Amino acid sequence: MTALLQVKNVSRYFGGLKANEDVSFEVPQGSILGLIGPNGAGKTTIFNCITGFLGLSRGEIFFDGNSIGGVQPDRICKLGMVRTFQKVKPLARLSVLDNVVVGALCRTRSPAQARALAREQLELVHMGHRADALAGGLPIGERKKLEVARALATQPKMVLLDEVMGGLNPAESEDLIELILAVKKRGLTQIVIEHDMKAIMRISDRVVVLNAGRKLAEGTPQEVVANPAVVEAYLGAALAED
Amino acid sequence: MRLFRSRQAWLGLLLIACALLPALIKSPYALHLFILVFLTVMLGESWNIIGGFGGQYSVGHAAYFGIGAYTSMILLRDHQIPPWFGVWAGMAIAVAVALVIGAICFRLRGPYFVLASIAVAEIMRNGALNWKGLTNGAEGILAEVPPFVLGPLHIDFVGKVPYFYLGLILAVMSIVANALVRVSKLGYYLQAVREDQDAAHSLGIPIALTKNTGLAISAALTALGGGFYALYTGFIDPAGVLGIDVSIQLVLVCIIGGIGTVAGPILGAVVLVVLSEALRSNLLASALFAVGVPQGSAIGQFLKTNLAQAHVLVYGILVVVTVLFMPDGFLGFFRAIVSRRKRAEANS
Amino acid sequence: MLVLIQALVSGLLIGGIYALIGIGLTLIFGVMRVINFAQGELVMLGMYLAWFFFTRFGLDPFVSVVLCMPLLFLFGALLQRTLIDRVLDALPQNQILLTIGLGLVISNTVMLLFTSDYRILSTTYSSSSFHLATVSLSTPLAVSFLVTAGLTALLYWFLLKTETGAAIRATSQDRDAAQLMGIDVRSTSRIAFGIGSALAGAAGALIAPTYYIYPQVGGVFTLKAFVVVVLGGMGSVVGATLGGLIIGTAESLAGAYLSSGVKDLVVYGLFLLVLLFKPAGLLGKSRV
Repeated sequence: MTALLQVKNVSRYFGGLKANEDVSFEVPQGSILGLIGPNGAGKTTIFNCITGFLGLSRGEIFFDGNSIGGVQPDRICKLGMVRTFQKVKPLARLSVLDNVVVGALCRTRSPAQARALAREQLELVHMGHRADALAGGLPIGERKKLEVARALATQPKMVLLDEVMGGLNPAESEDLIELILAVKKRGLTQIVIEHDMKAIMRISDRVVVLNAGRKLAEGTPQEVVANPAVVEAYLGAALAED
Repeated sequence: MRLFRSRQAWLGLLLIACALLPALIKSPYALHLFILVFLTVMLGESWNIIGGFGGQYSVGHAAYFGIGAYTSMILLRDHQIPPWFGVWAGMAIAVAVALVIGAICFRLRGPYFVLASIAVAEIMRNGALNWKGLTNGAEGILAEVPPFVLGPLHIDFVGKVPYFYLGLILAVMSIVANALVRVSKLGYYLQAVREDQDAAHSLGIPIALTKNTGLAISAALTALGGGFYALYTGFIDPAGVLGIDVSIQLVLVCIIGGIGTVAGPILGAVVLVVLSEALRSNLLASALFAVGVPQGSAIGQFLKTNLAQAHVLVYGILVVVTVLFMPDGFLGFFRAIVSRRKRAEANS
Repeated sequence: MLVLIQALVSGLLIGGIYALIGIGLTLIFGVMRVINFAQGELVMLGMYLAWFFFTRFGLDPFVSVVLCMPLLFLFGALLQRTLIDRVLDALPQNQILLTIGLGLVISNTVMLLFTSDYRILSTTYSSSSFHLATVSLSTPLAVSFLVTAGLTALLYWFLLKTETGAAIRATSQDRDAAQLMGIDVRSTSRIAFGIGSALAGAAGALIAPTYYIYPQVGGVFTLKAFVVVVLGGMGSVVGATLGGLIIGTAESLAGAYLSSGVKDLVVYGLFLLVLLFKPAGLLGKSRV
């Protein structure tokens, strides 16, 4: 059975800069793909390409049978793919509830229905009690949870999480890991960009490593971590020889 | 006390009070002020839909106002079509112009919409000045309003009272429209686009379509207001309905009152109309003299002759002061005080 | 054919002025990302200053440029310090509103002080012209073009060869990076606004002999300056230079072949066309 997401030989150039070069991978339905790599490896760029925020210089992307290279982000959301942002983007002057309502309106028929769905999503991330707070006033941990709840409210088939655990303390990270696993249980497919290796090991079914715009390695978390090229990319050649 | 906490209760009370006013107040000047307030409220609420909710500041909304005014006047003058029919053509044209501006600007990031809105209003004003065959240029169009006849209903537009009620109805309509948009899918989407366009896009919101819809509704309502203005004054000219000061006034109403709220433009309209009339009729000068500024002195003379012309200067100062110290308008200012007090109570 | 050349030449002459105003605007935008809607009012102040020096002291406007520029530089720096600095982190819409309000305050204060009466600065050469080949050139406009060219060259030298100029260019490219490299961005912003105002004042003094002087004259200049800047590419000084010449020429051609009433319309129409087809402008830096 074909994978839900197929990234085929995708390249993205900015003038002379090769942000992504010939990247290919697949994400089977219901699985979690961990996407790792040093800073500047091109992880967010490939996210942007997949979710329509950037066009493709080369290659193709297929989601649920549809070719989505160059398609606008709102169209991609309607097809069932949603993302979060590395630098979190709350709708600051709206309430927490209204933020999630905006997401829910993607598929509900009326604002009233959207509100009901939104409340549900907020409960799932344990933020129901914060429904009336202004999103702009939230601390970073709650902002991240809000962004995930808002994305899930669009009732997606696939969620792309961009460094969702960045800047969180261990307790908050643990919350988010449980959330990601719960989302997997609901049958959703996910790609998770993360620097926290322990988290990646725990949640990923497969891992793709990017470095300098190219795919460096792919495999199960254990395989990837043992791969000397990966270790070298992260830690430097000297350590790789150990 | 709980009754008076509800905003709807306040507005409802206000509505009833307004409806009863003409029975109590007979002064044409007072009624005229109310009509101005109603018109300004209507225009403010209309601007608010795209400017307040959508965050797209049009500083050229006079274009739609003028289109509404000129279309209804021209149709009246040349084809004897009464303004309450003619204005619909004006609204359609306004929507068309809005969609053109939107098509050009809403796919761009940056301040282009503001600039383009000003340019389009200037194009309209220039066109109205130069296309003398159609608009009579700077001399404007003067036309008499026919009576409104519908079956047994016959309303002569004589005196202020018919305009009072018409204005009140239009103001209420625009307030209701605003409130409806606010809780609708469009309202949520507009606000999302305003807050963070990328986030909105990722959540399935069609950015250009959302902005265009908001602008089209706003343009139509503003044109309707223009038609009412033409009906009421019986005379329009390019400077009066297409000038930049008209556009600025519309923005000012919303930012003084409180942008993005339903009640804000009401507050802003009252403040602005009272202020500009106070200046125009030398009320402010008289008040200053009463307080002790010597009439005979140089300053006194200066004030007396010039304060009446100063209302645009006051607008400018108000804009600067509001942006610097009260970016959320009076309403936001009060709300901040109230929430600060609540927080203090909660902490004590 | 003669009409065409005549219109082109006249257009270039006035285009130089537009370029000067536009350069000021684009400098301010480049350094602060603020759109100065009061730019035209600064031009107007230059005009009134030149008129004042002429009627009071008999100073020729081309000489009083030397006075107008520093005066307006100081005024601009003051505006930056007291008002613009406060809104640098505010919403762009609010920044725009602030400068619009500022423009209104300036033009209406002048109106209160000097009334709306048209003033005329009439020098001995105000309406004289000379001939170059078969083309007639307005003397004051020709002189102002030369002065404009000189000022622009001076500005280019300043931006390219001095340290402050480099600071301005660096801040334009990346404010945060510039700050991290030790550039005082606040002071650079102040200088940029000062220079932008000085250029506007110079333009005002230069056109004072050929235009009616009244408080509201600024509005049209602001709008045309925007067209110039968008056409040239927001933030690009070279773009504004080119844009000014193009707009001046287009306007002049429209006046010659269509009618003087629709000159302005053509300029605004061009603006919308640029937004439609090349919003980043000829040499645009900003990403759209």
